Amino acid sequence: MSATVTHHYTSTGLDNRKIAIWAFIGSECMLFISLISTYLIYKGRSVVGPLPHEKWTDPSTGHTFAPILNIPVTSMSTFVLLMSSLFMVLALAAVQNKGRPLPANAGWWTRKLASSQLWLFMTALAGATFLGFQAYEFTSFVNEGLTIKTNLFGSSFFTLTGFHGAHVTAGVLWLLALLSIDARRGLGPSDALNVDICALYWHFVDVVWIAIFTLVYLIR
Amino acid sequence: MKGLDRLRRLSPFVLTAALAIIIGACSGSHPNTTFTPHSDLGRDIDALWDRLLLLGTIVFVLVEAALIFVIIRYRHRDSNERPPQTHGSTKLEILWTLIPAVILVFIAIPTVRTIFKTQANAPHGSLNIEVIGHQWWWEFKYPEYGITTANEVYVPTGRTVNFTLHSADVIHSFWAPQLGGKRDVVTNRTNFLWYTPDSSMETSVWNGFCAEYCGTSHANMKFRVFTVKPDEFVRWAGWQKTQAAFGAKTATATTAASSTPEMMTAAATTTGGPYIFPKEKIPAYTVPATPPPRGLTFTAGLTGNAGRGQQIFSTGACIGCHVIAGNPSAMGVLGPNLTHIGSRTTIAAGRYPNAAAYLALWIKNARVMKPGVLMPTLGLDEYDPILKTKVTTASGGLTDQQIADVVAYLTALK
Amino acid sequence: MASTAIATPLAPTAYSGEQSGVWSWLTTVDHKRIGTLYLFTALFFFMWGGVEALIIRAQLGAPNQHLVSAEFYNQLFTMHGTTMIFLAIMPLSAAFFNYLIPLQIGARDVAFPRLNAFSYWVYLFGGIFITVPILFAVAPDGGWFGYAPLTTRAYSPGINIDFWVIGLQILGVSSLAAAFNFLTTIINLRAPGMSLMRMPMFTWMSFVVQFLLVLAFPVITIALVFLLFDRFFGTNFYNTVDAGADPLLWQHLFWIFGHPEVYILILPAFGLVSEVIPANSKKPLFGYPVMVYSGILIAVLGFGVWAHHMFAVGMGPIADTFFSLATMLIGIPTGVKIFNWIATMAQGHVRLNTPMLFAIALVALFTIGGISGVMHSSPPADLQQTDTYFIVAHFHYVLFGGSIMGIFAGIYHYFPKMTGRMLDEKLGKIHFWLYFVGMNITFFPMHFAGMLGMPRRIYTYDAGQGWESYNFYSSIGSYIIGVATLVFAWNFLKSRRSGAIAGPNPWGAATLEWTIPSPPPDYNFAKIPTVTSRYPLWEGKEADLESARFNAQEGKTAADFGIVMPYNTIKPMIVAFGLVLMFCGLLTSRVIIFLGAGIMIVSLFTWLLSPLEPEHH
Repeated sequence: MSATVTHHYTSTGLDNRKIAIWAFIGSECMLFISLISTYLIYKGRSVVGPLPHEKWTDPSTGHTFAPILNIPVTSMSTFVLLMSSLFMVLALAAVQNKGRPLPANAGWWTRKLASSQLWLFMTALAGATFLGFQAYEFTSFVNEGLTIKTNLFGSSFFTLTGFHGAHVTAGVLWLLALLSIDARRGLGPSDALNVDICALYWHFVDVVWIAIFTLVYLIR
Repeated sequence: MKGLDRLRRLSPFVLTAALAIIIGACSGSHPNTTFTPHSDLGRDIDALWDRLLLLGTIVFVLVEAALIFVIIRYRHRDSNERPPQTHGSTKLEILWTLIPAVILVFIAIPTVRTIFKTQANAPHGSLNIEVIGHQWWWEFKYPEYGITTANEVYVPTGRTVNFTLHSADVIHSFWAPQLGGKRDVVTNRTNFLWYTPDSSMETSVWNGFCAEYCGTSHANMKFRVFTVKPDEFVRWAGWQKTQAAFGAKTATATTAASSTPEMMTAAATTTGGPYIFPKEKIPAYTVPATPPPRGLTFTAGLTGNAGRGQQIFSTGACIGCHVIAGNPSAMGVLGPNLTHIGSRTTIAAGRYPNAAAYLALWIKNARVMKPGVLMPTLGLDEYDPILKTKVTTASGGLTDQQIADVVAYLTALK
Repeated sequence: MASTAIATPLAPTAYSGEQSGVWSWLTTVDHKRIGTLYLFTALFFFMWGGVEALIIRAQLGAPNQHLVSAEFYNQLFTMHGTTMIFLAIMPLSAAFFNYLIPLQIGARDVAFPRLNAFSYWVYLFGGIFITVPILFAVAPDGGWFGYAPLTTRAYSPGINIDFWVIGLQILGVSSLAAAFNFLTTIINLRAPGMSLMRMPMFTWMSFVVQFLLVLAFPVITIALVFLLFDRFFGTNFYNTVDAGADPLLWQHLFWIFGHPEVYILILPAFGLVSEVIPANSKKPLFGYPVMVYSGILIAVLGFGVWAHHMFAVGMGPIADTFFSLATMLIGIPTGVKIFNWIATMAQGHVRLNTPMLFAIALVALFTIGGISGVMHSSPPADLQQTDTYFIVAHFHYVLFGGSIMGIFAGIYHYFPKMTGRMLDEKLGKIHFWLYFVGMNITFFPMHFAGMLGMPRRIYTYDAGQGWESYNFYSSIGSYIIGVATLVFAWNFLKSRRSGAIAGPNPWGAATLEWTIPSPPPDYNFAKIPTVTSRYPLWEGKEADLESARFNAQEGKTAADFGIVMPYNTIKPMIVAFGLVLMFCGLLTSRVIIFLGAGIMIVSLFTWLLSPLEPEHH
């Protein structure tokens, strides 16, 4: 995001930041592998409920807890997050093609496609929506009696999804920063790399969620 | 050449020193050595060790010889010429990839064999001993016999003993080096370690240690293994199952006859014939030599009364943590079982000998005697280093006389 | 030297454009100055950790001593390990990464100069954060490995472990940021013609280490996050008391990081020695490609052997077998390295100066550590060795005999490049021989103490256990090392001012860093060289020599060549300060957390929005 993009010689021809973001993503993979592995190792080892996929009756109170994961709701939020990746692709394309004259017969859709502000906003909005779903999910779990302190499942679940949520939050802030720059001075092809890096990060966060959704929610 | 000359001049000294150390290691008194094992597991490990040491020494000598040869042979003073510029040799690279590989095969095969041999399930008919690691002492239970003891474990020679390892708190590691390898005592897990003490072995005692760092007094978490003949073991187990000779039948005022804590030994009642490990067979290296910390005092010349001691024990703080079979008040399980404390050789997980003087100081100032212990400071007006307050009567403080009485009682529990 | 005509070296006067004053150090983004900062800071922590070791050895010199309390002893050994690993050896390596990588690959700086400054300041603040508590006897006391559940709130209620968890978290940020930076630098900023297989061996080993850092540090980060959450927010990751947690989770996570960490500590030293030995044998490194591949292989295998630290925890025979065989395999590429170093010296003109002596010492001593390493790769044998002084002996042969000896070889070798002056040879040789003898007297007897039954991490031991003499030797030896370190410190400080003038290439070495003046100008290379050989000064074509002559010009400024240099900036330091302040808030109050986070975010934004260097076209 530095204001000047100077064109130093590089061995690979790629910008330094592109290499760095890949290194960063490699590192992040190990981070999430550690979190997901911990979740899986502790799966089924909680000594008290509530539990993700099973009913659990508290022996002392007799109260029965339903399986806590709400898969339909999370499927919705997963869909929203997936869509955000699509928006991100459109945003990047719009930035890259900025300045290219539109065909004379360009319709409404074609003109919208060229709006980087629209797609950056949509991506951020989808990300924020996902976070909204997560906030809802966390609140309802707490209301149902599952906190980060309750059991091994609670600790590993909230930490894993919370870490992912924090990554989404960082991504949304990043997108909003790009959006504000776009609104102020307009992002053009010379800024494409900045958007590209953000997009790489965003897609990565999205892919991680697919893994989490599959391993935590879908597989019993 | 100066450095090398110096090396040459020094080398005899270095070699002599190294030799002295090695000879020392082989001949001196090394009561905890792993080189003279007294069990099947110990010998299996030692056989591997011998092979590792042999191959390691060969590699060491060859590599260092090659290195020294090259340095001396190709030593050069400043000159501007350049030696022939070689970049490598595929043949040599293959050669010295294969050499270590072959050596490793000779290590790997017996290693894998020994892994599977020593980690199989313990043979049927083994003596099961449950080991529970506590910060910082050891609890031993014999489910077959219904015995619970602490810090001193008796095993019969010639019979496989299977230690079932549990932890009450953090991770410890159970290790008696002369008998075999160690195994970690892991919280929320059950581990096993089994071996057969040699049947040819004399009745003896071995040191054991906690080998995994477990907090403040990790260094003071020791135990003793008493290897006894099978018939002695039966006698010991039979005796341990009963209540101590001085016991539940209320205080019959068996007064300790001695005047100083050092000499305060209660008369052992002979009824029932307690099995006491023969004193002459206790090797010096299992007798703790740790001096009590400086600054601790105990009134000299007190005579303890075991009956009174039992009274104090049974109404005081002691019963919150200790079990004494036959004393219905003593039910606490946080601390070591004291049923036969009088017949043990050490206190404080092997830090001090089980003598009246040490026991008195221990009761009075446990937290100075052994840093970090759960056992509270009980001496009246003594400073408790963990609670950071002085002990008062209200907080269960005992006078020196009362402590002497308790010591008399405990010592009587043969 | 034979083939390059270089004018008589000038005295290392301050080259024009050099900056001075405290402010210039706080704001510098020059990789060489940051490298210098790393070097000084890490040497300071090395001595600090050494003092801790000397107190430990004083306590253990005889049985039943009361020099320090059990509590303080536990803090000492915890901090000795933590300091030496995270605050001394890793940053000493980082000093060389910083100083050498751009010079060796023909770059003007690292890929992200400001990020580089940030890494240093985080390291410094984190180092202070984790070190200061020992002055108040509240230092971490759970061992450098911090095994749960001992380190959970239930068993370590004090603030001690908090310093450790947070401190390591901070230092992890520094290491990761630096790793991304160097990885990018090596991939992307190599001079034209500097193909991967022409890179100097130090850069190669550093390259491998950056991969290890990038992949291993997130794992410890997560392990520490769990512990942090457990301690501060009541989660259950290591709650063995009532949540049924499995303490082996910590051990696995820790050692998945911890074993690659071992190679993070040793590979840079291997790299340095691979520079020193050829330069002082006047021969190219023997088997260069094999040296590269063996380094890579060590790193890859290094991720598959972590559980050999856990042979006593009862993983079962199959896991034990797997990790045992994988561990033995690592012996092969390591052995190959040793043989190649010896072969490099063979038929060469071996010059036994101080750097070479240290390098040879690495070969000789690491061999011993390697052999003892194979000894505990055999799980049954390890059951008698693990957690005893035998292990202490082993890893000190690897880390002192290996890493430290290699790093000192590097310091003596590159000091002339960094300062323009030579270190004193006589004092250097005294330093070397005292180290060599002292280290063997200290650590060799520990092999015996361990096999004779002495457990590790004990603050005291009883008389009559057969350990007295070995411990006595070890303590004597450690004080020899202490004296030697003072000799070095004296040499280092004295020679910076009055050492013999070095000139650009005092050793007649072959690689790019020796083509430029000593100390190098801020722009490094007046003209980015085009590389045609692995050894430009020995085997280079006319183009190599031509650019070497051009780049050897002294007394010029960046402006003379029209080179644009980055602005100095204080922002990375402020971001680092905000980050550390935020972590400090965990121990004090929420206000501090928000204050720190605020400082960090605001200064990060101004950093990112301000240009690195003046516009130029």
